[in-house]
Amino acid sequence: MAKFQTSIHEYLETLPLQTFNRLYQKPATCLAIFRLLPPLGKQIIMSSLYVDTPIPVADMKLWFKESGGHVKHREAMQRLKALNIFSEERGNCMMNATFLEQFRNALTGGGNSQSFGLATSTPDKHHVDIAFLDDYATKQWEAILHFMVGTTEGRPPCKGVLNLLGRSGLMTGGPDATQGDNMDARDFANQMARHDFGVPKITHKGFQFLLQDINTQVWAFLLQYLNMAESLNMDLVEVLTFFFQLGSLELGNDYSSETLTPTQTHLLEDLKAYGIVYQRKRGSRRFYPTRLATTLTSGTPVMLGSHTNATKMTAAAAAARKADDEEEDDHGFIVLETNYRIYAYTDSPLQIAVLNLFVHLRDRFPNMVTGVVTRDSIRRALSKGITADQIITYLNAHAHAQMRKHSPILPLTVVDQIRLWEIEKNRLRPTPSWLYSQFSRQQDFESTLEYASELGVVLWSHQKRRLVCITAEGHTAVGAYVRKLISRHKEQQAQQQAQQQAQQQQQQQQRHVTSVVS
Amino acid sequence: MVKAVKGVVVECDTSVKQIILGLNEKGQFIIEDLDDTHVFVDASCVEQLRYDIDEILNENTYKVEESK
Repeated sequence: MAKFQTSIHEYLETLPLQTFNRLYQKPATCLAIFRLLPPLGKQIIMSSLYVDTPIPVADMKLWFKESGGHVKHREAMQRLKALNIFSEERGNCMMNATFLEQFRNALTGGGNSQSFGLATSTPDKHHVDIAFLDDYATKQWEAILHFMVGTTEGRPPCKGVLNLLGRSGLMTGGPDATQGDNMDARDFANQMARHDFGVPKITHKGFQFLLQDINTQVWAFLLQYLNMAESLNMDLVEVLTFFFQLGSLELGNDYSSETLTPTQTHLLEDLKAYGIVYQRKRGSRRFYPTRLATTLTSGTPVMLGSHTNATKMTAAAAAARKADDEEEDDHGFIVLETNYRIYAYTDSPLQIAVLNLFVHLRDRFPNMVTGVVTRDSIRRALSKGITADQIITYLNAHAHAQMRKHSPILPLTVVDQIRLWEIEKNRLRPTPSWLYSQFSRQQDFESTLEYASELGVVLWSHQKRRLVCITAEGHTAVGAYVRKLISRHKEQQAQQQAQQQAQQQQQQQQRHVTSVVS
Repeated sequence: MVKAVKGVVVECDTSVKQIILGLNEKGQFIIEDLDDTHVFVDASCVEQLRYDIDEILNENTYKVEESK
């Protein structure tokens, strides 16, 4: 299954050294990257931040305990090296000079302060409060999610969002979507936005996306934006710097957009559409970061309005959290019974729409919906490319507190049945191949089979009927082998015939001789 | 003389295999009947085959919602 790239680390680690050096010129970026590091990485940086001479690797090892410490140390250092924070030279560890300087600036407040965003000096006449920003962020972000699940609620997102959805493979627009990869970003946007393009459909990547927590979703979106930025000739460093800058802004404050570069101003427009920043009107001199922005690098879960509460937990996070605060878990809203009935205590159209992907919904009440998991409803989901595992993970993550008292959480019958329905859908397992038949001699067949199984290309074989199926990849090699076998066999036959003829001639000659003698 | 034919090996369970054999009487797409769980068919008919089998299996399924 194609894994959806969601981690900013993975992305950062693919960047070249020059990009890093430019990135680290901003204290805000240094701080943001520092915040994203695991605790041990932070520890190493803090310990060596004010050491001006290179640290010998051997000395650094002494910081860690003998047993398990070294493994963790190596892991942490690998991360730091991948991010070009540390480099190793002649047995010494060196911290990247730019990073060192700017990170010190970030901590002590020296240097260029604009990197953390310039707060506006005059009070805003149209000041907005945090509640408004939360509401705005929720509305914008949910509009995107709504669009993905295909509810008609709210207006469809703008072109930029559609473009991003299409480019990231979260949604497809019918049969034309396969061309999306080699299409220019702008063309694709136009095509997505055109009316006759058909209703974009959610892909199984999109479904996975819906099941992520909101922070991961935002990052996934931004990463996709970064990938796209390259093709739109936007400067990667400026985009990344802006993302990291956003992460260090304070919620509820307004910041001046005058210090932004043209690229970043353009970026601001797009981020507005995702609900990451708020600007009262286009070209306004100030902008507000929303909670989506300020939690980007903090690692704390985003707390938005109740509507997104349930969608913000990943299965993994849910599993981890389940262990320590089972009682406090208020995100679950689904009750699944052994008779396949499902009761979902939610009034969020978004959650209902997600459920509708794989549940046959029947009744809707002010605070809940009921439905049945049926073969048809599951098959509908399966045919959209959603896997049984994804459905089960989703149900598990959102199971109601009452359900969590049972072990296993979900009724086994239903889980098994969902898996069976999936298996049933794939009862044919076709493999393109070549069938070799009519081997004239058993030994030819056996040596061919032996050769093919050494290559690991045999799909099926039958000794007595002298049949063997070879994968499409193995065909050239095995075909050549068989041809060689046959030609060798022919040569042997020809030799034998020649020998026989020679013998016959000899015999004839002998006979002739004897007859002459007699 | 050895003969090599291009096609698709379809692996399936025995009941599906019987359905395939039944469908073959109409279409004649089987190149070689391998064994109970394998059949070698023409590459172009796999999608159609998948669809047909789905239809037949669908007809033979008990549905919960109709029981009400």
